[in-house]
Amino acid sequence: MNRQALDLSTEYVAPRDPVEQQLAELWTARLEVAPIGVHDDFFELGGDSLLAAELQLAIDQLFGVEVPTWTLFLTPTVAELAATIVAELASA
Amino acid sequence: MNDLLDLADPDLYASGRAHAVFHDLRETDPVHWQPPTPDRPGFWSVTKYADVNRVLSDYETFTSERGTLLNLLGRPDPAAGRQLAATDPPRHDHMRAPVQQALNARAVDLHMSAVDEAVNAVLEPVRRSAGSVVDLAAVFRELPLAAVGPLLGVPESDRARLTQFAEMCAAEDDPDVRLPDGVTATLRRGHRELFAYFADLVRQRMRQPGDDLVSVLVTMRFEGAPLPAGAIVANAYSLLLGATVTLPGVPGAVLAHLAATGSYRAWAQRPDLLDSGVEEALRFATPGMHFVRHTRRPVRLGRQEIDAGQPVVAWLSAANRDPAVFDAPDRFHPGRRPNRHLAFGSGRHYCIGSHIARRTLRLLFGRLLAEVSDLELAGPPVRVRSAFLSGLKHLPMVVVA
Repeated sequence: MNRQALDLSTEYVAPRDPVEQQLAELWTARLEVAPIGVHDDFFELGGDSLLAAELQLAIDQLFGVEVPTWTLFLTPTVAELAATIVAELASA
Repeated sequence: MNDLLDLADPDLYASGRAHAVFHDLRETDPVHWQPPTPDRPGFWSVTKYADVNRVLSDYETFTSERGTLLNLLGRPDPAAGRQLAATDPPRHDHMRAPVQQALNARAVDLHMSAVDEAVNAVLEPVRRSAGSVVDLAAVFRELPLAAVGPLLGVPESDRARLTQFAEMCAAEDDPDVRLPDGVTATLRRGHRELFAYFADLVRQRMRQPGDDLVSVLVTMRFEGAPLPAGAIVANAYSLLLGATVTLPGVPGAVLAHLAATGSYRAWAQRPDLLDSGVEEALRFATPGMHFVRHTRRPVRLGRQEIDAGQPVVAWLSAANRDPAVFDAPDRFHPGRRPNRHLAFGSGRHYCIGSHIARRTLRLLFGRLLAEVSDLELAGPPVRVRSAFLSGLKHLPMVVVA
């Protein structure tokens, strides 16, 4: 599905670094929406809580870090997730 | 009179008028059509015991896969087919078996000494009140997680927070629960907080399974594979909600009634009526008031022809006061037998936690009846404002040791 077909509250901002790029690709694969903007809300894109739980495990495996789950459930954007992943990778 | 009636209106239940309305509907309009409003679709309601029992148990006609609560009406249920409560047989039965085994009478037995200790600790503020006013609603609010926390694998330090989020998911209309941003925001926040919490717990249990229910969900197989993470989290969420929000409503409603009618002593003097009294307490309180099903095909209910795809609300709270089944249904009669109440539902979705709920209530009432000789209301009880949850949020009482 094209992003423009959805009623989103955010303007499209393209991924700005490799972590954001990988996350956007992962979201596209799971949500079947493209393109994904880095400030788009996971739930506005059609995600639900069950899918979020599954995405969480996929993110663990892809990046080899455990992102706090509240990031995905309560601040669910590629930009926020990427920032958390980068911080986790730096402290690992 | 039915033109103004709205069975989805939480104020109807907060006001205490619901049972009078249900008695009237059962006699005059037992299969009632509630017209749509700008906020939600219309729905059918059944209030007779026989109809409620049928809607809950005839899963071939009435599906659970399109939402089971009024607050989901008109929206698809993302947990359909992946969470026990939202999955029809036969898939439901395959998913249920391992969880059921972890909650059957024998499994629950192993936990009972811990639950007894927890119940004892929960009652400490009642003992300490020594003739001054104690809010029993606040006391009973601690009960569910004290009893099922260890079974679920939830540490003690997280209990208060989880109780609060569970209330946001089940009593989102209550002004003490609702967030300033409104009902939808409240539901969403409670829901996402609990999902995030259980997603973390699931991640831990995947690394290191224990002997708790989340570990059962993580290690069990369903249709030849492990449960997907989304299904694990959705079921853990549902088990927590099923226990936490409902259980406190049972002792609350019953003690408020016994104190108001001066009939507490009569039960306290009959320790032989503990088990039958607990069943009567479940019938009388019925904390989960309804479940929603959707017709899978056209069906005749009573004198109504209902099309396929229509929501039908089974009002357990109305069924449990049906005079065709229960003599003097508004009376609390601790020796009532038989007492085939529907407080735990009916059919394949019968409450999976019924054993631990019954055992916990027996411990609680057993201790109360032995230790408390009489009760006196110290102010009006305040009901939760909700069309799903029947409970009290304040129950000021003076307890006589």
